[in-house]
This record gives sequence, C-alpha cells and structure tokens, in this order.
Amino acid sequence: MSGRGYRTFRGGVHPPTHKELSSSKAVTQAPVPAEVVIPLNQHIGAPNVPLVSPGDRVDVGQKIGETEAFVSAPVHSSVAGTVRAVEDVRNFTGAIVRAVVITADAEQPAFAAARMKPVGELTADEIRRLAREGGLVGMGGAAFPTHVKLTPPRDKPVDTVLLNACECEPFLTCDHRLMLERPAHIVEGLKLLVRAVGAERGIIGIEANKMDAVDGLRAAVSSEPGLDVAVLDVKYPEGSEKQLISVVTGRKVPPGMLPGEVGCLVQNVGTSVALYEMASIGKPLYERVVTVTGPGLRSPGNFLAKIGTRISMLIEAAGGWAGEPARLIMGGPMTGWAQEEPVASVVKGTSGVLVLTPELVDARDEHACVRCGKCVEACPMFLMPNYIAEAAIREDWAKAEMYGALDCFECGCCSYTCPAYIPHVSYARKAKAQLAALKKR
Amino acid sequence: MAAGRFTLAVSPHLHQKGQTIERGMTDVLIALTPAGIVAMIVFGMNAFYVMLVSVLTACLTEVVMRWVLGRKHTLRDLSAVLTGVLFAFLLPATTPLWVVAVGAFLAVGVAKELFGGLGRNIFNPALFARVALMVSPLWLYITKFPRPFFYRTVGFFTPVSVAINNEVAGRVVYRGLFGSVYPDVVTAATPLSLLKSGKMLATTISGPTPVGSTWVTVAGRPTFWAQFLGVHSGSLGEVSVLALAIGACWLLYRRTIDWRIPAGIFGAFLLVTLVTWNYPVFSLLGGGLWLGAFFMATDWVTSPMTRRGKWIYGVGIGLTIALIRLWSPLPEGVAIAILQWNVLTLLIDRYVAEPRFGEVGRSWLNRLPPYPKPGKAEPDKPVPAN
Ligand code: SF4
Ligand code: SF4
Repeated sequence: MSGRGYRTFRGGVHPPTHKELSSSKAVTQAPVPAEVVIPLNQHIGAPNVPLVSPGDRVDVGQKIGETEAFVSAPVHSSVAGTVRAVEDVRNFTGAIVRAVVITADAEQPAFAAARMKPVGELTADEIRRLAREGGLVGMGGAAFPTHVKLTPPRDKPVDTVLLNACECEPFLTCDHRLMLERPAHIVEGLKLLVRAVGAERGIIGIEANKMDAVDGLRAAVSSEPGLDVAVLDVKYPEGSEKQLISVVTGRKVPPGMLPGEVGCLVQNVGTSVALYEMASIGKPLYERVVTVTGPGLRSPGNFLAKIGTRISMLIEAAGGWAGEPARLIMGGPMTGWAQEEPVASVVKGTSGVLVLTPELVDARDEHACVRCGKCVEACPMFLMPNYIAEAAIREDWAKAEMYGALDCFECGCCSYTCPAYIPHVSYARKAKAQLAALKKR
Repeated sequence: MAAGRFTLAVSPHLHQKGQTIERGMTDVLIALTPAGIVAMIVFGMNAFYVMLVSVLTACLTEVVMRWVLGRKHTLRDLSAVLTGVLFAFLLPATTPLWVVAVGAFLAVGVAKELFGGLGRNIFNPALFARVALMVSPLWLYITKFPRPFFYRTVGFFTPVSVAINNEVAGRVVYRGLFGSVYPDVVTAATPLSLLKSGKMLATTISGPTPVGSTWVTVAGRPTFWAQFLGVHSGSLGEVSVLALAIGACWLLYRRTIDWRIPAGIFGAFLLVTLVTWNYPVFSLLGGGLWLGAFFMATDWVTSPMTRRGKWIYGVGIGLTIALIRLWSPLPEGVAIAILQWNVLTLLIDRYVAEPRFGEVGRSWLNRLPPYPKPGKAEPDKPVPAN
C-alpha cells in the first residue's frame, strides 16, 4: 500500500481511503438554496442569541447570532434574503437546536470585499479579534472557537503551530482540494496563526497519500522561515490532535490536558484559509468546502456550500442517488453521524456528506467480546475499549473511568477492528456523559 | 419520528474487512493444516479418524448444549471446529475414538458452554479436556503413543480393560469391538518422556525402530531432523516443528495472534534451559512447546489483552514450563502451565495497568477512582438520536 513507512503513532487502523472518488474533482460552487437553515450554535461553548427576527432583511456575511461569552463564535448569514423564522430544528446529531431560517433572494450579490489593514501588519490581538468576528471554529469537525485556542494562558506559551492537513478520515477530500487549489492561502493563514500565538514555527502535517499537495505546500513554505511540511504515514487517526502533536513534535499531551500543555496549537487547513479570507477581505465563515461522496451517489465531488444548505441539495448537486443507498452520513465514515433523512443543514464543522451502499455497511449483531485484544491494540489512547463497554453495560461508571473512558475521543478504531462488532463508541459516550454528570455533583 | 429512509447507527460506519470471529478461527484452522497433514502421513488413517471424531463431537456438543441452554446457535463462528481440531492434536493417534468423543464433549460442553460460551470461558477448552482426561481413569489411553508409520486402524469401542499393556516390552494390546486383537500396536517413548525418564543417555530402548534409518533415531532417540520434520512418536499435532512453524508464520502474518505471547514463552523458556543446560536444542524442538506457544497460549479468549499483560503471561508460561520440566515429574508441562496462566489472565487484565497515551510513571496497578459506585442511581440521560 502506498503511503506507509513514514512517521506515525502507536495504535490506529488502516481503513481503505476511497478518496479516488472525489480527490480529482475541483471545488465547485454548490447552487444557492431557496432557503437556508442556519443553526445559531455551531460551536462548542456558550449559546448565541439571535440578532434578527422574522421579516428582517439580511445581507451576505451579516452577523445574525452572537453572545458576550468568551468561548463562543458568532454566526453569519450565508445569503442575502429575508428572515422567515427563528425556530427549533433538528440538527445533524439529532439534537433540537435553535436556527435562523432565511429565504434567499433570487439574485445573490457577490460578497463585497472589505478594505482591510494589510495582512502582514496585523498584531496578535487584531488577529484574535478577526478570528472571533469571522465566527471561526475548528473546521475538522470539533468546531471549537478558534480565537479561544489563539489565546493561550500566559504561563503556557505556544511555540509550535501545527496545521492539520492529514484528512485521515476515509472518503473526505475537501482539505486535499483546498491544499491543491489554494496552497498560498493556507500558508498565509498559517503565518497569521503563528503570529497570533507568538510561536517559533508552524508545521503542516500531511499524510503521504497526498504527495501532489505536498509539492505545492512545500513550494509555498520554501521562502518562509520557520514554516515546514511534515509528511506522515497514512493511518487513521493521524489527524487527531494528540496523535498529530506526538508524531510531529514527539511531545505527548498528558491525559485530560489540552495541546497548550506541551506548547502546541493545532488548527485545520480549512480554518487557516478561513482566517486568511477574514483577514484579507473581511469575509466571515459563511461557506465551506464539503465533500459529497460515496458509492451511493452518481457523481461525487467537492462543493463550496453555504452554511445552512440542506444536504438534500448537495446530494442533488452530486448527481443524486446511485445504486442502493444504505446509509447517509454527515462527516466522515469513522466519526460522522448517520442521518435518517437528508434534511439536516450544513454547519461550519461539516466536512462531508457520505452515502454508503450495503457492501460497505457491514453491520452485524453484537457478539460477546471474545477478548482478542484487537481493540486494545488499535486504541490510539492505549485504553481498554472492551472493558469500558463492559463497565458501561453494567453501569459501573467508576470502572469505566478506570479503564480510560474519559480519555476516549471516539475515534472508532476499536469498533472498526472488533471481530465481535461491539459498538464501543456508543458505550464510551454514555460512560463519558455519566461521568461528567457524576463529577458535577 | 417515523422510521426514516436510512438506518441510524453509531460511528464508525465502516468495519475492517475480514475482521470477524469466523475469519480468525479460519486463519487458525489454515495454520493448523500443515501439522494435520504431517499427522496423517506419520500416523495414517488413525490420525484422520481421531480428528474427524473430535470435530464432529465438538460441533454436535455445541449444537445440543446451546439448544439445551436456550442460546442462539453459533456453529457458524467455527470455534467448535477449531476446538475439535486442537483437541485432536493433543492426542495419540491410537486413542480409541470413544475416548476422543468424551474429551471433545468435555472441551466444548464443559470448558466452553458451561462457562458461558465463546468469550466467557476461562480455560482453553482443548487443554482443559486433555488435562481432565489425564486425571481421569482414561489417562492410559492418551499416554501411549504409537510409533511413526504404524498404520493399523484402532476400533471405535476398544474397551478400557484390555488397553493394559506390558510396559516393559513397550507394547500395548488393543482389542477392537468384536474381539479382534491388535497385539502389535507398538508404542514408543516420546522425546519428552525420554528426557523425563532419564533415558536420554541410555543406549537403547526396546522395540524395533520404525524406519530403521539412522537419520531418524540415533541410540534410541530421535535425531534433530526427525524432531524437526515430525518422524517420531508423540501426539498428533505436535510431532513436526516445521509444520507448526509454517502455521505460526501464517498467524503472525495475518495478525490473528500477537507475537508477544510466543516471544515471551520462548524467551523465558530458552533462558532457563540455557542457564541450567537442560538439553536446550532438544527441548526447544519439542513440538508440544510450539503447539502450545503459537496455538494454545495465544487463544484470544484466554490470554490477556494489553501489551504488558501479554508479556507477563508469555514470560510466565515460559518460566512455568521450564520449571515443570526441571523439577517435577509431570509430563504435561505445557498444558498445565498454560491452563494455570489462563486463570491468572483475568487477574492480569483486571489489575495490571497499561500506561495511557501521554501518561508517565503510571503505577502497575489499576485503581478504582475514589468516588462511590453510583450503580443504577443515575437516570439514563437521553442520548442524542444516534
Ligand atoms: S476507546 Fe475511544 S479512543 Fe480508544 S479506539 Fe475506541 S473510540 Fe478510539
Ligand atoms: S476487539 Fe472486540 S472482541 Fe476483541 S477484545 Fe475488543 S471488544 Fe473484545
């Protein structure tokens, strides 16, 4: 297999990547929907309050939700149009959330670039403020507000910024396309990130199955002191924060700690581009590249989609259903969320829409654990997933913690490799929720 | 909400191709094939019948037991077939077939199903059955090993009473169902029993040599090549180190088993044998060790799951085997050592802590977090739809 033999971490799995379905498809603009549904909270942190009410006119890029709290990110309208409602909808995880529903005008004006201070002269504070104003969040899926990460505590200085360009989830190619099409913007964004935290170096970590992108990025960083590209093994989850840090820098983030603990900051390439766009032309994060792919679609591709676009529209843009669609997923196949109907809307953290066919959905009944230890070997956090699951079944939360439930980041390597088809992730999630509740008491 | 068009499921939505229980079992069966072929060459049809009866009984037992216990039947996962083959591999080819059937029943019916089925058993079923027979009145049947290339078929119902031998002459008299007598089932000492009985240096042992050529036996004991290829007496599966090694390579290549366990066993065993200079080469070529280290000790269910645990278990088994060989009269060192560590496996997995990612200086013992056991007091939070 290509892309092996580079630096990597212990544990993890090698799922077939299936990236060829969409990796050669250039990013195209998805059609502007007649109506967008923009959830007010697309980040981890304090909830936003709506700034608009039904009947209001909104413009492209206008802020429509915000809060005073530090750990939060505002949301912006992705279209020009009229607010139809502010109502509860079901988001892609199945949770009920408040959302602004906007009817788009038939004619959509292009985004008017604002006149900004030259990017090279921005100070750290200004960059943080721009990140916040632009509503930037981690675009790899976690959706943690970017400006919070860019504000490291004084006693824990950050010396290394890592740009996560691994895209280790199978099927997804949105970051790959960004790297091929806009390497210069990625590097500009990285320079802003490095300056915002006062780091010494910025390293782009990329998997060895994207050598074409490596070339472009190498060329773009060659003249930049302190910036570098690190080529890594093709393995899942190479792009997980803690694994990436350990592979590239050799530092290990201790359990329960954040990357800042070892002087690192990790951002996704999408976020880097978004930061550059906000800094250079004042364009907030209201659209993103989404990979719409899978054997259940006629013509998979990468689309620049407005936040709030219903995924049914993207499925149409990708040529509609093909074959026998069996599972619809928002996100990648390893950590994404299954959908019953194509109704949820694209949010800032949506990297993909995936339609699997029955050959790929290898669902079986759970067998008793046969104690083969494969999940233990595959777990990149060196936990005991099977014992966590067993403790969760017995509702013995203390034991679940003993075997590492709180360190689980739900990568899914354990279930992927389990011959007994045990859904460890759902047990670990349950244990984590219960333990969080316990700790609060 | 009415059921939607697509099914909901928790991530991950992909599963590793071919990573199933039956594939794991199939891989072990594939790995056992060379040894099975050697057994049939060396011991003839007897070997085949023993395997056949063992597998059939194991499967039948599983079907009946699961039906009686009201469990879903699981013949498809091939674990009964594997247990059947493994158990047959631990027997002499001349074992009366009804004894084989009794053993296979003990393996699947008692050691596996009564403990709760595949995954919940504490002992390796095949070894459990073997040792159970050893401590039963049937022990004589499974401790007489035919010479290589003795092809006379033994009947199914050979009665217990006539299986008595005249050991001095190294002969066992078997009698078939209708009184037919096979007086010439010539048994031979296994390499290990030679070593045990202190005959390693004896010049001769009685009885004709099987093939007569000097590469097979020298001074009454098998040569290196005989041991390596499998032309000597012993149980079915253990005679040929070469065949077992080929199978072991397959298991390691397929990653069905973890290399740490056999590495620990061989390492520790070799160390003790070298230090005490207890026939290191000869002992190392004992097929029982290879069968045990690669096919029995690595049994998924009954071996530890963490890296540390695997090392402890492997080294522990290696030391135990070496010590048994050195100081105890028991001939079944490998079986007993593995069974003993099967029991300790549960403790290892429960108490031996594996350091987590990024953790330094974690103690070797797992400790429960300090807060009280909540039990079922906490109401279930509604988990989001997935
Ligand atoms: S236990 Fe958690 S961290 Fe470990 S492999 Fe499973 S999902 Fe990943
Ligand atoms: S991979 Fe599955 S069967 Fe194997 S130990 Fe883990 S939970 Fe048990």
